[in-house]
Amino acid sequence: MTQENDAAAASEGDVEFVITRVFDAPRDLVFKVWTEPAHLMQWWGPKGFTMQKCELDLRPGGTFHYGLRAPDGSDMWGRFVYREIVVPERLVFVVSFADKDGNIVRHPWNAHWPLETLSTVTFAAQDGRTRITVQWVPHNATDKERETFREGRESMQQGWTGTFDQLTDYLTKA
Amino acid sequence: MPSDRLSATFAALADPTRRAILARLASGERSVTELAEPFEITLPAVSKHLKVLERAGLITRGRDAQWRPCRLEGKALRDATEWLEGYRRFWDESFDRLDAYLSELKARGTASERGNDV
Repeated sequence: MTQENDAAAASEGDVEFVITRVFDAPRDLVFKVWTEPAHLMQWWGPKGFTMQKCELDLRPGGTFHYGLRAPDGSDMWGRFVYREIVVPERLVFVVSFADKDGNIVRHPWNAHWPLETLSTVTFAAQDGRTRITVQWVPHNATDKERETFREGRESMQQGWTGTFDQLTDYLTKA
Repeated sequence: MPSDRLSATFAALADPTRRAILARLASGERSVTELAEPFEITLPAVSKHLKVLERAGLITRGRDAQWRPCRLEGKALRDATEWLEGYRRFWDESFDRLDAYLSELKARGTASERGNDV
């Protein structure tokens, strides 16, 4: 995480979303697989989705514009704008939902979700394996956007997600 | 769906007491008094929570003058769940696919770029 990120998060009191996982592969390979279109097409997106477009310009200010087709045939588009690239240890980029032309858009269901979030992905080498940590935080956000993000994150507290499942089961039978 | 419905739902769900109230309503309608029972807070405090849940469309209140039972409403909760789960699922499943892909690459022997990992 850059000092800039630290300072920004601390001063805004933003809640971060963080996920982390260890992969059984060397760091150089993992970083390559995150930053080359031919590789990204093989794994980026949820199960059952296929990548329809993968245009990547890996440099500060460059963009990654992608389209993912869901099993039901619907398309979702996203865009990264890279801010910082430190091979093979860190990627920092601004993420947004997008349209097919690469313009950033708001999610149609959620007017108050941040238009832009700043993501920091770090790759840490551990005995021939790699720990990836993804952290994201609202970027250039309004108070309302930050509040929505924070509450969305709090809604997903550990222990509640199990309850969500039970509730969803109940709701589908109701 | 109204585009600000989700943020109202997140706000409603961001409180542990309100989440607990919803979890109880999953087993059926309850009166305000019944809902207040497990908590060490006053009835007016519970009512405030119920208002937030009602405004977010997560519960409805019966019109019976004697007692106004609270009922869980499916759509808002399902929509919020879908949104939040979708976010989490994107990353979890991408990571699952990344894991499988890396195994495949290693098996194919393209992992010879081992770099200078220590």
